Amino acid sequence: MKDRTHAQLSRYGIREMSRREFFFGLGASVGAAAFSSLLAGEASAAAVDSPLAAKPAMFPAKAKACIWLTMEGGPSHIDTFDPKPKLAELHMTQFERRGKAFSPMAQGKRYYVQSPFKSRKVGKSGADMCDQFTHLPAVADDICFYRGCQGESVDHPTALYHMNTGAKFGGDPAVGAWVTYGLGTLNENLPAFIVLPEVAHPQGGAGNWSNGFLPAHYQATPLRSKGSPILDLTPPDGGDPDHQRRGLDLLNELNGYHAQQSPNASDLNARMESYELAFRMQMEAPDALDISSENEKTRGMYGIGEKATDAFGRKCLLARRLIERGVRFVQLYSSGWDSHDYLERSHSALIRSVDKPIAALIQDLKRRGMLEETLIVWCGEFGRSPDNGMRRGGVAYGRDHNSNAMAMWLAGGGVNAGSVVGATDEIGETAVEAARPIRDIHVTILRLLGLDDSQLTYFHGGRYKQLSQTGGEAVAELIA
Amino acid sequence: MKKVAAALFCFIFMLASLSAKDAMRFKRDIYPVLQAKCMACHGADPDNLRGGYDLSTRALMTAGGDSGKPAVLPGDPDNSPLYRAVQWQDPHLRMPPKKNDRLTDAQVEAIRLWILEGADWNLNPPQPIRWDAPPDAHGRKPIQTSGGLADEWTYRLYRPDDLWAFQPLTRPAVPQIDGVDHPIDAFIQRKLREEGLETAPPASRRDLIRRVSYNLTGLPPTAEQTAAFEKDGEDGAFMRLVERLLASPQYGEHWGRRWLDVARYADTGGFSNDYERPNAWRYRDYVIRAFNEDKPYDQFVKEQIAGDNLDGGGLEPLIAVGFLRMGPWEQTGMSVSAETRQFFLDDATNSVGTAFLSIPLRCARCHDHKTDPIPTRDFYRVQAAFATAQFAEPDVPFLPSENTARFEEGRQRIEALLNETKAQQSALNAKEEKAARKWMEERGMEYLPFKERQKLPKDQKPPLAYGLTYQDLGTRKALNKRSRILAWQLDRYRPIALSVYDGPKAPTGNVGARLRLPESVEGEPVDTFILGGGSIHSPGESVDPGALSVIEMAEGPAASIPSGLKGRRIALAEWIADGENPLAARSIVNRVWQWHFGRGLAANSNNFGATGAKPTHPELLDWLAAYFIDSGWSFKELHRLILSSETYRQSASHPDQAELEALDPRNELLARFVARRLTSEELRDSMLQASGELRLEMGGLPIFPEMNLEAALVPRHIMGSIGPAYQPSRTRDERHRRSAYAYRYRGLSDPWMEAFNQPDANAACETRESSIVTPQAFALMNSRSSQDRALAMAAQIEAERHGQTERIERAFQRAFGRSPTDAERQSAERYLKAAEKRHETHTPTPFVYPTSVEREMIEEMTGEPFIYVERLDIYENYEADLKPWEAQPPTRALADLCLLLLNANELIYIY
Repeated sequence: MKDRTHAQLSRYGIREMSRREFFFGLGASVGAAAFSSLLAGEASAAAVDSPLAAKPAMFPAKAKACIWLTMEGGPSHIDTFDPKPKLAELHMTQFERRGKAFSPMAQGKRYYVQSPFKSRKVGKSGADMCDQFTHLPAVADDICFYRGCQGESVDHPTALYHMNTGAKFGGDPAVGAWVTYGLGTLNENLPAFIVLPEVAHPQGGAGNWSNGFLPAHYQATPLRSKGSPILDLTPPDGGDPDHQRRGLDLLNELNGYHAQQSPNASDLNARMESYELAFRMQMEAPDALDISSENEKTRGMYGIGEKATDAFGRKCLLARRLIERGVRFVQLYSSGWDSHDYLERSHSALIRSVDKPIAALIQDLKRRGMLEETLIVWCGEFGRSPDNGMRRGGVAYGRDHNSNAMAMWLAGGGVNAGSVVGATDEIGETAVEAARPIRDIHVTILRLLGLDDSQLTYFHGGRYKQLSQTGGEAVAELIA
Repeated sequence: MKKVAAALFCFIFMLASLSAKDAMRFKRDIYPVLQAKCMACHGADPDNLRGGYDLSTRALMTAGGDSGKPAVLPGDPDNSPLYRAVQWQDPHLRMPPKKNDRLTDAQVEAIRLWILEGADWNLNPPQPIRWDAPPDAHGRKPIQTSGGLADEWTYRLYRPDDLWAFQPLTRPAVPQIDGVDHPIDAFIQRKLREEGLETAPPASRRDLIRRVSYNLTGLPPTAEQTAAFEKDGEDGAFMRLVERLLASPQYGEHWGRRWLDVARYADTGGFSNDYERPNAWRYRDYVIRAFNEDKPYDQFVKEQIAGDNLDGGGLEPLIAVGFLRMGPWEQTGMSVSAETRQFFLDDATNSVGTAFLSIPLRCARCHDHKTDPIPTRDFYRVQAAFATAQFAEPDVPFLPSENTARFEEGRQRIEALLNETKAQQSALNAKEEKAARKWMEERGMEYLPFKERQKLPKDQKPPLAYGLTYQDLGTRKALNKRSRILAWQLDRYRPIALSVYDGPKAPTGNVGARLRLPESVEGEPVDTFILGGGSIHSPGESVDPGALSVIEMAEGPAASIPSGLKGRRIALAEWIADGENPLAARSIVNRVWQWHFGRGLAANSNNFGATGAKPTHPELLDWLAAYFIDSGWSFKELHRLILSSETYRQSASHPDQAELEALDPRNELLARFVARRLTSEELRDSMLQASGELRLEMGGLPIFPEMNLEAALVPRHIMGSIGPAYQPSRTRDERHRRSAYAYRYRGLSDPWMEAFNQPDANAACETRESSIVTPQAFALMNSRSSQDRALAMAAQIEAERHGQTERIERAFQRAFGRSPTDAERQSAERYLKAAEKRHETHTPTPFVYPTSVEREMIEEMTGEPFIYVERLDIYENYEADLKPWEAQPPTRALADLCLLLLNANELIYIY
């Protein structure tokens, strides 16, 4: 391959440039369109050379993109998808937790707390869902509910880092970074890995969507829900494409003179190309992000315009638009699920805010024929305890953190839809069936996207590193 | 007959390899593989054996399965079906059946040798090993250590070239090469000549002054300095330049910043609260001073690991030992204190290994090291040296060399903010009390203040937070957090050092305030255990403090670390900084080489183990290590040596570039210099220098450069609330200081700096990345900070020069240190003309800095949203940079040109 390319290059009078430099410098830029067509036969070679170019999956897989719905704070499995009638019997009975490895949070007198919500069976699978969900039941059979996931940490940032990056202590690449590293992107004019955080960034901050030790090409671009969606996408005065073009032309000219006397052609060309790409992204991104171009009906379906659902509805609709345009990985945040007190009020409000938008997202993807190609993941960073300390005089029932059990579901491409996998014990304290660590969930998600965790490695600091840290096993029951 | 032949062959083989039958082989190399790869189907469950073949005893193993044929013929691997199966050559006989599970070539070869030697089944070999036995047929040798968790590990074999870093330092002779005087050049030339490669010609004077200025100070030379150096053809001009740069305070700032990468420096603790660390900057300035004063490296090591153990070292070492606490750490009411303590111990152990020995010890935390002779026992022996290190933030009076400027105004500001916050808290309390009074009076009860009514039964007092709205509740929580944060910030103006002391007890419970030094320290040190799988829930054998046994048991120095409360760390530090310890000197000399050449002689400067890159010039590395030790561990001496070599001074362009790239794509042989991109800090500082704004004030309180306003005002979720907004420093003089002094949050990175690969401060950074990504173009072209630099540069140029041609000339000089060519000048003129025309018809809209920010938050206890308005006091009296609406169209047009120059490849690459 390399030789052939060199032969072709020399045919076009280009010497002393490696294939990589050649395509970096010219293959993708606007000005080189004619040139590229001469090399149509080499298109795949060009694709392989850009770090973000689409790469083939390692396994045959249906899902090509992922939408990850993160419920930050730790949604209660007991009060969403894993009801525990036993707790009604035990309600307000006291016990004491024993052992050393508890945080001050879990010490002292504890009381079992029943769920404030009723629950019912939904869909053909008969999955449990609390009655606060009124829209999600309609898509229950597109969902694979999972009750076996177990974390290791009861602190928000470490647990969230663990779920997002496979490591508890921040600084490792996020799942989205690994996936874009493995699969590249289908649209280089948009960022490949996009995060839609709440206005407030989660505890632990940007470490939750870091590229870690992977090259910076795989870092997430957080889109802001207010102000400019991408930082510095346009100049402060809004920009003037003609003036910018003139500027880029002069910059290219100066860089051209410089390149004539410089040995590092590959970097110089790549850097010039990054300015052209930025210019194109500046043109394409506003359109991708403009949800006002969607019709009233679609906007209404996502709950846009309704106070409770507007914010998350916008994110869900935006996620669909981005996936549609070839973005590989979109992560959405809904925050505030940390209901230590007033569980009824806070979980009701939060469920209401995500219920309609998520159901709409699944339905919308389905009617566009995109659900089969999109993996949807819903989870928090841990579940909640069946009990609570005696806070607020015992009237503000809530739950503390619990990493032994949690709520999670998957939907879309390749997922064992319409099923309930795993189980927790009778009070929801810990997973007892199909109980698996987070690394196995990561391996499963990679598998559903056509990636093999043990092949998807990156050599860093003298060691091949992988998302699961030390290897894991896919949860077969979650896969269709 | 066959058997005889096999035995004969075996005998011959033994003679040939000069090695006796390896009694350990089965236990070490074979049985674990059979267990891991075969026994699941062939032995684990006797009722369910695939093909009826059972590997659980020797007899069953050799007998074979349903086929009725023996599976192993001892002495004859080639005719043993088991060996043929694992070879995976015969399409009908492949084991394990899954491709992914295939044995490695080394495992297959071990099975061959084992069958050849008779396929013994000895899980308890009588005399396991002779440590001084000659290498086996593959040149592998056992290595003595304190011992692994299992014998297989203890007696495993290593390839000597994987162990290069653990070998004693050699003092190789400098190769004698015609016409080469400099020792470094001699080592480099020897290899180049072996490969038939010519070295590149000397770099141009212009490239050279730019290269050495950046490499020593992180700043470019001025156009005037470049011109003077180009003219100065005298002998010694270059070394005079080197001396000037080494003597400039900017040298320490730049090299200190490099060490701070390794030390994972940040000003906050990370995780849930990301609280400010009391005066972490004092450690930063200590590092900068150490480089400027050329503190001997052995001393530098001891101060950072055990500064508090040093007698007569003065106050500075108490600051230096903050190294141990530079990693992310916090302990909240939600943390398990035994876990956070262990997290610190793991971080300290790993960081000391990574930073000073180039061995990331973390790899041996959960199990014996997979590839290096570092048993998990050693991880915990080293860790035991830190088991008595306890956190304290004692008063260490400010040193005369420490910059305490702006303390008074800073203190007044924080106090005022704290008082304001307290007043807001009181107002909410008063509101609650007023409602409570009403509640009690309505029920005919006598009003009792909050504290006094706590003991009353539930029905005789108003519910908690009675009379407060969601808005009030949320605001109260935010205010409580704010006063806590401000209280931490007041510590900035106290002479606190982030330090440690030797003591028995670690803090338990929430650590939400400064930790005091105890009055007296008594008690027994806690024991250190080998933790199974690294978990505090699985303590195993207890261990005494120690060092890396692989070094001690070879010819290296032995550590004698006391097991009492005191003095453990200094003993460890002395062992590390011992001139006979092969790791420490190699580690730092390699880093210095990397910081000059872009790549270490061993390319993984944080990992000298078997999986790290092998040194390209091992003898040079050792020679340099010895030179470094002999010259009193002096960095500046090492710089002089390296910089005076022709290898350093050669061009980045090679006359035979194409051939070179084919033969040595990574430039390991150094036939030329390698171009590199500026780091984020170098780029920002260079832009400030080009605009004439750079302030060279040293040290002291961290400064806050302007950050993209949206990123600065993004609410950061911290435990139970929102972190304070990022506000820039009020004055230009502060904001325009060097990037080394910029505040580093763990939970909030400056997107501009991050785009240019400023590393995450959570782990030691081995080498700066320089990937090319689109956000760089956005940041450098569109951000307000970049545009402000360009405008300031234009205004400066207008003040310096008259006339467009002169100004274009000056713009090129300020950006590139040279005048434009005719072609460049003409294009720039054309561009300026068009730009001026645009600016004449486009008046920029003034932008007003916000003086408050509204935070909409969800009260997590109620799920109800509330709004909290945070005052941005800095902007009330802000000394802004020059803004476009204050400038005339020609200035704005010139600024556009300057911005393009600041974006040019010529500025961002060094050759």
